[in-house]
Order: sequence, then C-alpha cells, then structure tokens
Amino acid sequence: MPDFIVKPSTLKELWKILPSLPAGRRYLAGGTDIVTADNCGAESSECWIDISDIPGLALIKETAGSLFIGSGVKISAIERSAAAARWCPALAAAIPHFASPSLRNMATLGGNAANGSPCADGVCALVAEGAYALLALKGKKRRLLLKDLFLGPKKTALKKDELILGFEIPKRRHAGAYLKLGPRAYFGISKAAVAVSAEIEGGTIKRASVALGSVAPVPLHAARTSAWLVNKKLSAETIAGASEIVKAETSPITDARSEGEYRREMCGVLLERALKSLAA
Amino acid sequence: MEKLFYVGKSLPRKDARIKVTGAAQYAGDREFSGMLHAAAVRSPRPRIKILSVSDMKARRVSGYVTLVTYKDIKGVNKWPVVMQDYPFLPEKEARFAGETVALVVAKTARAAKKAAALVEIKYKELPFVADPLKALEKDAVKIYGADNVLSSFVIKKGSVDAAFKKAAYTVAGEFSTNYQVHAYLETQGAIALPEAGGGMTLHSTTQCPFYVLDAVAAALGIPYNKVKILQTVTGGGFGGKEDVPALVAAHAALCAAKTGRPVKLVYGRKEDFQSMSKRHPGWARVAYAADKTGRITACRVKYVLDGGAYSTLSPIVLWRGTVHAAGPYKIANVDIKTYAAATNKVPCGAFRGFGQPQICFAQESLIDELAGKMGMDPVELRLKNLLEPGDKTITGQRLNSSCGLKEIVQTVRKRSGWDKKVRNRKSGTGNQGDVVTGIGFSATYYGVGLGAKGRYLDRAGALVNIYKDSSVGVNVGNTEMGQGALTVLAQIAAETLNAPYESVRVEEVDSSKVPDSGPTVASRTTLMSGNAIIEAAAPIRGRIFKTAFDLLVAMGADASNKMTAAGGLFSMGGKSVVFKKVVAECWFRRLKMSEQGWYAAPRTTFKLEDGQGDAYVIYSYSADAAEVEVDLKTGVARVKKIWAAYDVGKIVNPKLALGQAQGGILQGMSWAMYENLVYKNGIMVNPNFTDYVMATTADKPEYDITFLEKPYAGGPYKAKGMGEVPLIGVAPAVANAIKDACGARVKSVPLLPEKIWRELK
Repeated sequence: MPDFIVKPSTLKELWKILPSLPAGRRYLAGGTDIVTADNCGAESSECWIDISDIPGLALIKETAGSLFIGSGVKISAIERSAAAARWCPALAAAIPHFASPSLRNMATLGGNAANGSPCADGVCALVAEGAYALLALKGKKRRLLLKDLFLGPKKTALKKDELILGFEIPKRRHAGAYLKLGPRAYFGISKAAVAVSAEIEGGTIKRASVALGSVAPVPLHAARTSAWLVNKKLSAETIAGASEIVKAETSPITDARSEGEYRREMCGVLLERALKSLAA
Repeated sequence: MEKLFYVGKSLPRKDARIKVTGAAQYAGDREFSGMLHAAAVRSPRPRIKILSVSDMKARRVSGYVTLVTYKDIKGVNKWPVVMQDYPFLPEKEARFAGETVALVVAKTARAAKKAAALVEIKYKELPFVADPLKALEKDAVKIYGADNVLSSFVIKKGSVDAAFKKAAYTVAGEFSTNYQVHAYLETQGAIALPEAGGGMTLHSTTQCPFYVLDAVAAALGIPYNKVKILQTVTGGGFGGKEDVPALVAAHAALCAAKTGRPVKLVYGRKEDFQSMSKRHPGWARVAYAADKTGRITACRVKYVLDGGAYSTLSPIVLWRGTVHAAGPYKIANVDIKTYAAATNKVPCGAFRGFGQPQICFAQESLIDELAGKMGMDPVELRLKNLLEPGDKTITGQRLNSSCGLKEIVQTVRKRSGWDKKVRNRKSGTGNQGDVVTGIGFSATYYGVGLGAKGRYLDRAGALVNIYKDSSVGVNVGNTEMGQGALTVLAQIAAETLNAPYESVRVEEVDSSKVPDSGPTVASRTTLMSGNAIIEAAAPIRGRIFKTAFDLLVAMGADASNKMTAAGGLFSMGGKSVVFKKVVAECWFRRLKMSEQGWYAAPRTTFKLEDGQGDAYVIYSYSADAAEVEVDLKTGVARVKKIWAAYDVGKIVNPKLALGQAQGGILQGMSWAMYENLVYKNGIMVNPNFTDYVMATTADKPEYDITFLEKPYAGGPYKAKGMGEVPLIGVAPAVANAIKDACGARVKSVPLLPEKIWRELK
C-alpha cells in the first residue's frame, strides 16, 4: 500500500495539488489492477490519487454524432446502458467476458485502458468500435485514436499525470461481436480475443473493424483484415479468407497463459465464429 | 445391527454458523497486547551460496525491531520432519527461490514487509537442477546426496519379463502431471506467545498440531512440556497444512523468543505459493501385459516425483504412490520402481490423494489404451481384473470383506448409461457442429490411514469430559480443516454416550490436552479419533447407562423390559429420563465423568527388498465416469457430468460425505483440466490466482454420487475413510472421455486445450 491516498473532488483541485505530491504517484480508480499489483509486490508508489469522486468522469452521454463514456464509468454500468448496447455492440458483447460480476462493479473503462494490458477485454472491443480517447493534463486536452494510445505491454502514450477523461465512439448503426478464449468457463484472462464491428448492407460488408486481444504487445487493430473485408459479401468464402488473413496479422507469444501458435490459430477460429454470428 | 440415532444422519455442521457469519477467529484475526509482526526475507534465486545478510537499510524503516537469522536458533537447526534435511533457517546455502533466509520483526505487518524487502542478501549463484528426470541422470549437478534421490521404493512379484514375452497384448506409455496448489482460502500463519518461565504458546493454522509441537520444541531447544500448540480455526488444508505450518510456527517462535514479545507471522499469497508445499509433479512410464481373454498378467512401472529442494514428506508420498501404482487389479507379476528426485524448486508434500492421483492418471489412462488395443469395452476389461474380497493386492495383501469395488463399478456403469452411450459414440450420434461428446471411466482404491510406512505415528488419543451441567467436552488430536471432523466426531461421541448432539462440543486441538495423535491426513480422522472417542466414552457410557437404569427403576419402571437409549433419552417400561438428569445423578454419586481414550492402528508391514506386506489396514474404493464435450477447433473441453460411486464404509454424516465427494471431484477436475503452475529457469512464473487458474463454480460438472456402505468391523460404527478418495480417479476418467470424444490421447495433466488441439491437428 502507498504511504497515503489523496482524493481530489474536482479536476481543478487535482491539477492544483499535483505539484505538492511525491513523484511516485499513480491514479486510483476502481483499484482492481493497482490493488492486485500492490498485493503481489509489483506496485510501490508513495501516493495514490483517488479520482473516483471527480464529477463528469462517471457519465455516459449521447451527443449528436457520438457517444461519450467517461473513464470512471464502471463496467457494470456499461452492461446496463441502453445507449452503449445500441452504439457499441462489440463493447456490449465483451462485457460478459470481462472478469467477474463483482470486479465489474469496481473496475472502470478508463482503468482498463490506462493499465495498458493487451488482454483488456473492454479496450479490445473499444478499439474495434473505432473509439477515441479524450485526455487531459493540467487543463490541456487532447484527443487520440484509442488504438494509438498503446505502445507496448503496460506502456501507453499517456504523459506523466495525464488523465483519461473518457472515450468517444462515433454514432453509426452497425453490428458487433466479441469472442474470447479464456482459460475456463468465465473469469479469466483471455488467451485470444476477437472484436468485430461492421456495417453490413444487403449482405455486403460496407465497413469493418477487427481488433484482437492477447495476441500482440498491444490491443491490436487488425488493419489488413479490416480493410480486406470491405465491399465483400459476408459469405463462407469471405469468412474463411478473413480468418486466414487475420492469422498473419498477429504476433502472439508463448507464456504461462498459452502458446503462440495456438493463439494465432485461435484468432482465425474466433474471427470465423464472430463473422458467422454477424451473418446469422 | 444396532440401531443408530446420530451416526448416519445429516446433522448440521458444528462450525457452520461461525464461518458463515464471519465470527470464526483465524490465526490472522487474533491480537495480543504488545504483539509484533514478522515477515520473511526470501532467497531470490534457485540455488545460492549465502555470503552475508545485512539489515543496514532495513533499520531505517520506522517500527523496525530486529533481524532473525540461523544464529538466533538456540535448539538444533534441523526441522524434524521425516529425514531432517531442512534447516529452520539456512546457514550457507539456500536451495530454492522463495526459501526463507531470515526474518524481520517490526511493530506493524506493513513495516515488517517493507523492512524485509530492504534486507540485503549477498550471495553467489550455484548451478541448479530444475528437471526431476535430469536430476536422476548420472552427470547431473548433485544437490542431494550422491544421486539426487530423496527416496526410492520397489515392489517385485512374479516374473514380469516372462509375462510380457508370453502376453497376447501389451501397452506402454509415458505420462506426466503438473503441480497442484492447495489454494486454501486462509494462507499459512502463526502467532507465538512467550510464556513466563521460558515456555512458548503457539496459535497455528494447521492440520498437524503435533508436527508444530515437534518443530517449535526443536527450534527453541526447550522441552515439550513448555510448548503448547493451539490450533486456530483452519481455513482449508487439503494436505497443505500438514508439514509446513510447523516451519512457519517455528519461525514465529524464534522471533518471539528473541524479542520476548508475541509475534504474528501471516503469509501473503505470493510467498505462500512460492515457499509452501505443493502436489508433486509426477512422471511415469507404465506398461501392462494381458492374455488373450483380457486378464492382466503383468505390470511394469517407473514412477518419478519432483520432490523439490528438501525431502519433507516426499518419502511417504512416494510410498503411497508405489503401493497403489498398478491400479486396483489382481496382477500376478509386477515390477515397480519409484523415485523422488531432488530439484531446486519448492519442496512438495501432502495433497489430497498423496502421490496416488499422479500415478493413477497414468495407469488408468493406459488401461483404456489396453482395452482399445484388445477391442474390449474399458469397463468390461476393468471388471475382469478388479480386486475382490479374498484377492491379493500387488503387495501380497489379502483383502477382507469390506471391498465393494466391483459393485461400485457396476453402479457407475448403470447410472451413467455407459453401455448405451458407448454404442451411441460408435454410431456418431450426439455430436453437434464442432462439438463432440465422449465418456470415460476409472476405478481406484485407497489405503486408509498411514499404512506401514507411517505406522509408528498411527495412533490417536481423545479426552471425553462430561461437565456437571451435562454438557460434553471432547478433545482430540486430529483437526477440523473444513472437512467436517468437529461434526462427525461429535456425532460419534453423542451416539456412544446417548448425549444430545447439541450438548457435545469437540474443540480445536490443544496439544496439552491429548497425547500426540499423529497427523490429520490420510483420511484417518474419523477412523482414528472416532475409535479413540469411543474408547474414552465407553466406560462413561457404562456409568451413565447403569445410573439411568437405577433412576428408571426408582421411578417405578418395570425392569423386565429392556432399557432403550436414543436421542438423549433413556426409556424403560413406559418411563423415561433425560440425559441431563442422569448426568446430574452421576455427579451426585461422584462417578468419574471424564476419561482418556487411545486407539492404535492394527499392525501393517512392508518389506523394503520386494515391497511385499500388508501395506494398509483397510482400503476405500471409488469408480468414476466422466462425460465431456470437446470443441474440435479450439481443443476446449468441458466436463458435463461425473457419475461416481464410493465404498468408504459406514457414512457417519451423509450431507458432509456428499460435500466431500463434490469437493473432491471438483478439485480433481480442476487439477486435471486447468491448474498449471509454471516454472521458468527455477523461478515460479505465476504465483497468483490471476494466472494460476482453478475451476470456478461455472466449470462445475453435474454430479451423480452414490455411496455403497461396506461395513468395516474395525471402524467407528463401521466407517472407513473418505476425504481423499473422490479426487483420485477424476483425471483419468476425464482424459479417457476426451479420447473417447475426439480421439486425442493427452498424456499430461493439465489437459489443456492447447494439448488437445495439438493432438487433433
């Protein structure tokens, strides 16, 4: 545990107190990653900044062109949101695969992204949805395609003290799917996961976005596969073709969770099943 | 047979309420005035020469008190387990990553952890051995004796080579199994309280308080009568709290002795993973020979366990595996050689099944391969060869009438719809898309109690004490660790005394109240402590029954009727009197209402030269059928249903027995399918529940459980033992079902999707 935890009540207050805090500091939101890391000795900050009271971060709101999901939104709140189900079908499909019900009550979407893990279910789905991350640092805001936030395992483009305010997902009608191969029936970290967001008209794919979890150093946007699918009929041949291409786009490793070759093959199987579910 | 009132009933658990409400006091919950906290300083590498240990930096932590090293040991620096090769704290060499090198004591647990991280061990790395098979090779780095062998056994009978030459069918295969982590909810922990006059009292979460007693007395160099072990409510054991709690408690005691203050040492999950005992990884090469009718004529086994850095319980774990290595079959010719190899990894010890599940997975998988080769149904093949009353085991032991193995196999065959399902499989019905289903079988036996190798420890004591108000206190030397001992033993005491069940309280173990009763392991508590309670209670029963009779006569009851006693009530000729009143009269008459009991297991034998002898007093039996689904594209298998039947003698509490069965099946299935502790270059990679994956309730199969109660005359109310039995046969039944479903024969546990997928490619 850190030496102390501070809890600013507004963004303004946060930026104000930052200079007075020790250099070893990290944000605390749902705590499901940082507390676990602390328990196993992988986290040793002197100070945690609890951002869970900052207003606005826990909002889901629709504007004319996009859906905003605040970084402090609990995963279980997304599960209950009709707007999220409507505009982010891949994200909605990912939620049941996300940890356990009790963790979903604690964990936030922002934390899921800031943790920078390639196996984050919520993030993988959001990458497929073409989401943007809205970031803030001492009053300065910037907007980044979410897929570009990730630089490597546990490495993000976030600058020191930069905060994720939320995610912006363009509003367009589309279908989505999320399939994950975990180590057991539920509550496990994926060996491989596939998220698909696609606009399909009259059996033809007009736009496709495929993202992969746990098979690359980052939540991976499968650009080649996504591009290849465009303007193709959603047929058995297309599905088989896409599942071959996606395998070539991954670079999975062998670790304690699974084997590289298996993970690569499973990307093909999962994509095939995901696309089939959209065709059904 | 006598009519029983309490034994055989699903009475409520004695400890249910305190556990459910959170009132139970585990070791970590206890506080004492002036208490300090200890934390371990651990070796970072698989094998090191210790050059120095310095607390220079640790001293700066606020609340720091002291560093404890081997130099603070006043007694002998050898932990007294089986072989005495494990120092309480290493002097020159630490032999596995995670081994406690020193301890830090501080005012708070947080300060202790922080300071422990700042203690500097200066060391030189030494060459290490990680692979048990390589450890046994001639040119391996020697880390234990001249050959890295911690222990070795043989069983030899008949002429195996000749039988293999003459055989119509032979099969052989190599199989392996990985570690299993006990994953008890409560990690290891102890509190040591120095007593005036140089004594030490320990509050310890443990299965084996008398092992803790041995260790603390040895480490402190003080007599046993100055050491008292109080078992705290124990949050799970499964074998993981057999040997190692003694080490943890000894460490706490060393810290308390040095500081003169109470010291609490409670492990975090990561260090518990890294340093506490595990199920041994196993490797086996097994071969069977059979004649053309399907009679198994010979079995050859080479079985190796990965013992880890110190021998701890490896010799006896290996011995149990050796005795059961050929499976529950009558086989005239056997050649079994077994080894526990030393490696620079965590020392392995007891885990539910104790060396049997590993070899059972190998031999029961291979029995199916033999059936396949012969074109015979695997259940038919088993039925042809199973042990029956009067048959001899591979150690030459003749089985008595308490052997219902064939009956339970037939029960499972029938209940699972085996014959029909096998026919359906052959015709390919029941498969949907990428998902196929299959069914697999296994049969096992289990020697109850410690057997010949542990016979000197195989005794137990009990103290039964009826207070003036008629409440009954029972002390035993075996522990409750979640399995239900407090309840079952209370039922036995209530039955024997005809005391109301509610009035009987069995306490957690206090080592000063009962003599050394051996460990709480080997499914022996109901049998051993149960018999000791009956021995203690019998003379009191005599006094109570005589007094009740007198009271009834005085009340005018017609003594020509027989007195009956049931549920705390004594009745005769239309009159009755309650237990409370009878006890009051006993006290008024100044009768002795407290007795000690003692039970020593009957003699067992085992000749080291050829492994022949009566290895165990009595055996329990199990049969399992597993139905699985396999996804042909992903290799993901799911166990849909397990049918199991057990012969564990008389069931004392059916609901608890069912719980033991379900828990054992799930734990066995979890080991078979998911649990995968990974070592890389001598370092444990996944010492946490994020990456050490266990089955959850969502993975739970449907259960169909049957008990066949073959009475054992030597057991308390004819009971045998059951704690471990349900786990042993699950893995091979599942592996056989996977093979049946999709043709993939996976020869290593866990049966991961990756392995099934590779076989299917």
